Amino acid sequence: MDNRPSRHHLFRIRSSRCEPPGQRRLPTREIGGAHVRIGLLTEGGYPYVSGEGGFWCDRLVRGLDRHEFDVYAFSSGEAQEDAGWVPLPPQVNRVRTAPLWAAEDDGVVYGRRARRRFSEHYGELAAVLCASPDSAAPEADRFATALRGLAELAREEGGLVGALRSETAVRALERACRAPGARRAAREARVPDLLAVAAHVERALRPLSLDWYEEDGLGAVDLCHAAAGGVAALPGLLAHHFFGVPLLVTEYGVRLRTHYLTRPDSPPAVRSLLAAFHGRLTAETYRRAAFITPGNTHARRWQERCGADRAKLRTVYPGMDAAPFAEVGESPESADPHTLVWVGRVEPAKDLVSLLHAFAEIRTEEPEARLRIIGGPAGPEGAAYLGHCRALAAHLFPDEADGPHAVGDNPVSFEQLGGPGLETPADAYAGGAVTVLSSVVEGFPTGLIEAMFCARATVSTDVGAVVEAIGGTGLVVPPRNPRALAEACVSLLRDPERRTRLGAAARARALELFTVDQNVSAFHRIYLEIVARTPVRCLVLDGTGDPLPFAAPAEAHVPGHWTDPTPRAVPTWAVETPVPATETAR
Amino acid sequence: MTDLGELNRSTPGAADPVKALLHRHHDLCLRAVDPLEIAAGLEAHGITDRTAARFRHRDVFSLAEELYARVPRDTDPPPPAPPTTRRADTLHGSAWFLLPLLPGALCAATVIALRQTHGETRLYAAAAGILAVTLALRAALRRGPLSTPGRTTRPATTSWTCWLIGYALLGDGLLHAAITGGPDGLPNGTAEGHWPLAVAPVLALTLACAPAAWTTHLFTTHARRRLGSSRGLEDFSASVRPVLLGTFVLFLGALAALLAVTSALLDEPSALPGTLALGALLFLARLLTVHGFSHAPKVILTITVLAQAAALTTVLAARLPGCAALSTPVETLTTTWSPAAVPTFTCGAAALVLLIHASRRLSRASAHVSTEQPR
Repeated sequence: MDNRPSRHHLFRIRSSRCEPPGQRRLPTREIGGAHVRIGLLTEGGYPYVSGEGGFWCDRLVRGLDRHEFDVYAFSSGEAQEDAGWVPLPPQVNRVRTAPLWAAEDDGVVYGRRARRRFSEHYGELAAVLCASPDSAAPEADRFATALRGLAELAREEGGLVGALRSETAVRALERACRAPGARRAAREARVPDLLAVAAHVERALRPLSLDWYEEDGLGAVDLCHAAAGGVAALPGLLAHHFFGVPLLVTEYGVRLRTHYLTRPDSPPAVRSLLAAFHGRLTAETYRRAAFITPGNTHARRWQERCGADRAKLRTVYPGMDAAPFAEVGESPESADPHTLVWVGRVEPAKDLVSLLHAFAEIRTEEPEARLRIIGGPAGPEGAAYLGHCRALAAHLFPDEADGPHAVGDNPVSFEQLGGPGLETPADAYAGGAVTVLSSVVEGFPTGLIEAMFCARATVSTDVGAVVEAIGGTGLVVPPRNPRALAEACVSLLRDPERRTRLGAAARARALELFTVDQNVSAFHRIYLEIVARTPVRCLVLDGTGDPLPFAAPAEAHVPGHWTDPTPRAVPTWAVETPVPATETAR
Repeated sequence: MTDLGELNRSTPGAADPVKALLHRHHDLCLRAVDPLEIAAGLEAHGITDRTAARFRHRDVFSLAEELYARVPRDTDPPPPAPPTTRRADTLHGSAWFLLPLLPGALCAATVIALRQTHGETRLYAAAAGILAVTLALRAALRRGPLSTPGRTTRPATTSWTCWLIGYALLGDGLLHAAITGGPDGLPNGTAEGHWPLAVAPVLALTLACAPAAWTTHLFTTHARRRLGSSRGLEDFSASVRPVLLGTFVLFLGALAALLAVTSALLDEPSALPGTLALGALLFLARLLTVHGFSHAPKVILTITVLAQAAALTTVLAARLPGCAALSTPVETLTTTWSPAAVPTFTCGAAALVLLIHASRRLSRASAHVSTEQPR
């Protein structure tokens, strides 16, 4: 089965579809178990093998086997498409993919009326982007209206890709930049800047040209779950607009923040306009979403800052598989009491230099201490950094031997995972009594969670979501402070009881908060809550044409498929017997 | 929230701790387009809410807002425009520069071979020559400034181009022979006889591949440079239009010179207007296709070919009984001027239409978006 998208011309951006080999299975019926059909929207991740963020989607889909999933995926490049998909469980009903990197003009040339519609909506969009940031409230509405106008145009006429690349679009941008009241950076936009902005907006709005917005496409799902913000959430936004499908947005890293960090070299006009575009898009996504689930407090703060309503926010910590660490976690006495372990990918942000300096101080207090640095370099920059760290370690700690005839050894060792005795990450943590984290920049510290699963006492720097993850079950010191790091390590090395206590508490905390089960069940609860809150989208009418109340109660979501061709799973008895239940009782 | 003692400890010697931070992250603050960008940058430097508390701020966002507000922005001169005009085509050695010379060289070799051979050998030489020139043309259009990188849609204009060149080679002779009652046999491959070949225009056209590629490169690089330097879209259009016309005239001049040389060398009558019209038509069609406008060239080329075919057909169809009136327009045209008037008028009109079209389309900024950057 070749699921790669075909290369020929189609009306809109072509997307491939496929039903997995298991075909439609009949789920087990459970009394009272609601059955939800979830449209999972991903970008460059699941179901592709080589995608980031694919793991949690896979665990989520496998964990919720009583629900049904339709996966709508954007691929990030040709290499990824060629690498193929992960094996899909039978609860995945359908996969539709679209290559956003290869959208080509569908050749539709707009007539006069369509052109006027396009230039009106695009002009509105451009005006919002160029407007000075002071007037925020009415702008959000204008942006949403323009976006919806463009989406409707693409759905009815097609040809949006060509139109967004056309001179009309560039002219509209220029007009908006030169209009009175435009922001200062926009006024300075030159022709190449305008072209760059138009090209980027065209790229970002490609999901508008997809053929997913049909009654049997995204219109048929009960809720859309976007696995990331930004472009991935755009189909969910449109499904909400066209069909009223509720939207759930999960963000482990805030997309808007990455946009700010990705293009530092562009001219200010480009950065300003694109920041406005992504900011408005993010705000609109948060406004329309039924729930937003940040992966940690840091993401949550960004989302609040970008206009997310606090009532909609539910922090769902990423889940990690605790099973590989169970054996090590249950036997904390196996650790060497003098060894510190650092595990991770070597890069400058991890600040190993500071760790080595701290270890020099530790050695003056505890001459028997050893440090194992386990992990490979991340990229060429990481390799250079690793070389620098090795040189520093050799300089700070000369090889030493027990006696005049023994072979010398360095107290600091650099090792890689996969070597002898280090097959799994659990082996890495098992070797040391204390796990150290010395980063200056950190997102959600997965390495720290692994150490917690292994019931190891930890010393970490106060960055990113570290404090949130560790709670009170480990020592936290300020970043870039080798002396504080050394003091904390020494205190733990000298106090085995405290180590055991902290390790046990850390393991208990991790098992409570960061397992796959809690992640999956949290999403399960949120799905049910959304479905319970969403009004029935297709009204069932009785014989006289009046709406039929209670025709699609919550019990209508019982597992199984109905032969009725109406897109919503409406039970046939509800349609055929136009007598409300209350009247029957009377 | 934070006492002053701690504040002073955190940045000793500074009454205003934010000022030191501003100094340390000056570039970031100056560059930022809004406070969130500063917040993202500060976080990437390891500043957290707990760090921000030392600066008496609730979180990084409010610290970033203060930094954003305190950077003197209005007095700064706008940063210089970055060099956006990269070299349009990185010159892969001089390969692309010399490759367009290949079709002309091969065509010249073919002409010499035709002159030197007789009978069946001449037929083989002609076939081999046509094959070689076609392959060379393909190669010349695949890379360099005349290629269409990144545009997967391939317009079906190859057959129309072949017809137009074939007509330049054979058409005038055929038309003349048809009006005077012929043709009585196939052409013998020389400029004499009852169905003469016009080799000089075709040789000049294949040789003109090189000036076409060079002038296109000139136009593209000029347009990109103007793109970087112009303030607005109108400004850009106004400055590119003369460049386009200059390029066009330059190409026509080169073609005329080449035609004069080949006509003199081959000792053939110089068919200047017809060749210039055809050359102009093909050049403009390729220029438009290279910049992504493949629809208009396709339509115009089709119409031109149909008009030429109709001219030939009417003359031949006039021999049918009762259809003598059909050939009147073409015969009037040829007796008033010459058989070359047919390609001159058809190609000339088509080239004029394409020129007007090109001057509107190619003067738009969106036509010059660099194809290397993802579109």
